[in-house]
Amino acid sequence: MKSRVTRRAFLASAAAAGAALTIRFPLVGPGDAAGAAAYDPSAALTITPDGLVTVHITKAEMGQGVGTALAQIVAEELEADWKDVRVDYPTNDPKFGLMLTGGSWSVNWTFDTLSRAGAAARLALIDAAAKSWNASAADCVAERGVVRHLPTGRSLRYGEIVAKVPITKTFTEDELKQITLKKPADYRVVGQWIPRLDIPDKVNGKAKFGMDTFLPNMVYAKVVYPPVREGANRTAVDDSAAKRVKGYVATVTLPQLVAVVATSYEAAVKARDALKVTWDPGPNASVSTESIFAKFAQAKDDPNAAAWHEQGDVRAAMSGAARRHEATYTTDYVAHMQMEPMNCVVRFADGAYDVYTGSQFQTFAVGTLAATLGVDASKIRIHQHYLGGGFGRRLEPDIMVETALIAREVKRPVKLIRSREEDLKRDFYRSATLQVVKAALAGDGKVVAWENTLVASHPGKRWGPDFVDKKGLDQFALNGADHVYDIPNQLVRAVPVETGIPVGYVRAVAPNYTFFAVETFMDELAKLAGVDPLQYRLSMLGSAPRLARVLRLAADQAGWGTPLPPNTGRGIACVSAQEKKTPTWTASVVQARVDPATGKVQVEKIVCAVDCGIVVNPDGARSQIEGSILFGVSNALKERGTVANGTLVQSNFHDYQVLRMDEVPVVEVHIVPSTEYPTGLGEPGTTTVAPALSNAIFAATGARVRQVPLLPDRVLAALRART
Amino acid sequence: MATLLINGKSHTVDVDPGTPLLWVIRERLQLTGTKFGCGVAQCGACTVHLDGRAVRSCQTTVAQAAGKKITTIEGLDPAGRHPLQVAWIAEQVPQCGYCQSGQLMAAAALLARNPNPSDQDIVTAMSGNICRCATYPRIKRAIKRAAQGVRS
Repeated sequence: MKSRVTRRAFLASAAAAGAALTIRFPLVGPGDAAGAAAYDPSAALTITPDGLVTVHITKAEMGQGVGTALAQIVAEELEADWKDVRVDYPTNDPKFGLMLTGGSWSVNWTFDTLSRAGAAARLALIDAAAKSWNASAADCVAERGVVRHLPTGRSLRYGEIVAKVPITKTFTEDELKQITLKKPADYRVVGQWIPRLDIPDKVNGKAKFGMDTFLPNMVYAKVVYPPVREGANRTAVDDSAAKRVKGYVATVTLPQLVAVVATSYEAAVKARDALKVTWDPGPNASVSTESIFAKFAQAKDDPNAAAWHEQGDVRAAMSGAARRHEATYTTDYVAHMQMEPMNCVVRFADGAYDVYTGSQFQTFAVGTLAATLGVDASKIRIHQHYLGGGFGRRLEPDIMVETALIAREVKRPVKLIRSREEDLKRDFYRSATLQVVKAALAGDGKVVAWENTLVASHPGKRWGPDFVDKKGLDQFALNGADHVYDIPNQLVRAVPVETGIPVGYVRAVAPNYTFFAVETFMDELAKLAGVDPLQYRLSMLGSAPRLARVLRLAADQAGWGTPLPPNTGRGIACVSAQEKKTPTWTASVVQARVDPATGKVQVEKIVCAVDCGIVVNPDGARSQIEGSILFGVSNALKERGTVANGTLVQSNFHDYQVLRMDEVPVVEVHIVPSTEYPTGLGEPGTTTVAPALSNAIFAATGARVRQVPLLPDRVLAALRART
Repeated sequence: MATLLINGKSHTVDVDPGTPLLWVIRERLQLTGTKFGCGVAQCGACTVHLDGRAVRSCQTTVAQAAGKKITTIEGLDPAGRHPLQVAWIAEQVPQCGYCQSGQLMAAAALLARNPNPSDQDIVTAMSGNICRCATYPRIKRAIKRAAQGVRS
């Protein structure tokens, strides 16, 4: 069994292969002898005598439809009848390998593995049926959950085989690899319009999220969080008033946290409010947006900045160039703002922890919990639920750790629900960034040198040494800066900076800010060269024909070059998100209108073209692209996390505003038919919006806005700065 | 003690009259389809009907709700086949699904008072409900589909 993938192994292969790794789980032994209760050909699926096929989904279902898509992949090669297919979301187990959902990786990482798991199970079922008929497996076929013996017409349903026939065929890793998979032209489940399996329960209130857990004798906890996000020290706790609150159960004072526990959520809130905790605010008490960007501005000139990506000789090419251009781009902190505030239920009994929540990274959570609680990993059971939004927030185990610590003290099941205010203040934000991009152009306008200095906080640093490379860099804080344009001399200088505001992974991660700089700067260069921004890009995409194709497609569908009313413009951007080695080729044209008096930007229409290889579930794919595009609009137009006194200033949806229905543009999605190996769709769309919108504002007004979000006062300032 | 009439059923609960209705529905009565999102009437995830009107249960006290007809997502339709629920499936609206009970309850109150809403009517009625997955275009389509079904 080589199913265990350590964090270090994961990072090593991710770094080496641009995360194009496949998590394999070998097929395990034969099903039990005749009369088996169920057939478990591998960790991926179970077939029961009633004929039902349950696909075990080890990826988090957070709205991306992953359960349905992965089940389709298995069903295709298994030749299951789709109506017999179910999914479940199992509790962590080493047999599932790395349990991690993010990066738009799910289909990309599992397509081959799950295809082979399905195919192997089909071959084993055929083998069993053939043997029961004393026939040759070569004379049998499987179709829609039935094995048929072609010469005689005899048949057995999968459920009958499981119930009555010994299934003995197994596969080695090598034999698994040798299985011939179907050609895309023969797909009957993959690529079909199949309704998502999770949707019916999401319209009637039955879908269970972590917060919907109730255990006997359960109590409610509230943690008292420090006034400064990082570095504050607790100096005193006085719970005399809290104890008088009706429903009060206990005060939990630990090195890691102080919390109150009560019999109801309201009582816990009241007790928390009555608890007097005093703090020494620590070294970060004066950290602010201004101090952070001042630190960034200083750090950008660090002569020892690491070269994360380098080709050719940028310095020589810059010095000999006909023209040079330089621009500085900044982006602000962005919060996840997933609709379900972080919450968890933990029961501690018999030395084991039952954790009820929705997790994007069970493997990391189990390791963190086991280390914090001082128990073996086998004592941690994470019972997976639907995620009320993930977006990277639920990669973090912080809420599980808090709840488990409290549950261990009070010896009763504990439910911990953060308020929205707590959720936002305790988030791990997308880093604020500062990027200085420089380029040199030859006399014909071609880019001969490109340098990007990228100043940002790197999330991997907080997660530990397994999550950064030898230079201390987190590739997930840098992806995208190594774009695919044909430029002979390139350098990405990486400058990680710690600020006192912890950062994490927010949907689409680094490519949000890297492609904002790359694609806005590309527009600036096109202007400088006097070439249409579409043609300019195409002239440098010789080595990325699939990107050139979606770029042309988006432009054609958007009517690129056709006239628009005054103060209205189209901007274009194309990306190789999420990672250069496993790109989903994505291009968007944004049409926007600018009010020159107020600087307010109205996004009118977005046309997005995508090539992600094989599409497993076309409507799910479309839904992901629509959602990711609109998430990008929200980021680009509205979301600005600011910092004062060492903590985020914003506290709820009134001052941290996200996109609402009245601001939604027309979104048009074009997916390129393809038989290439599939990549992912949860994020790439997001990354196209900010640069395409900034470019649209420029096209509409001649004002160049280099700060995201593209707020009205920033647009106004750029309008005034026009020359 | 307060008596609440929820989905046609009477519930007596021992809570402070100032307790938000949301926490009684969710955590006492375990009708968990109603969701907690913000606690300050900014997101709409906790939307329920009070005498047919869409209200934010996080900002409605038990005292305000007592004696009124309270409807949650579980009671929107006995079989879960309200025209909006059918349309929500047909348009494959939900992604993470967490906000969708609130979206459906807001949309149901809209259709009850305006069976033929214009685009602008829909936007006005629904802009108080946040969907972080941004399923807004599909929500709009589903409301129109349901409205057509109700009319025909």
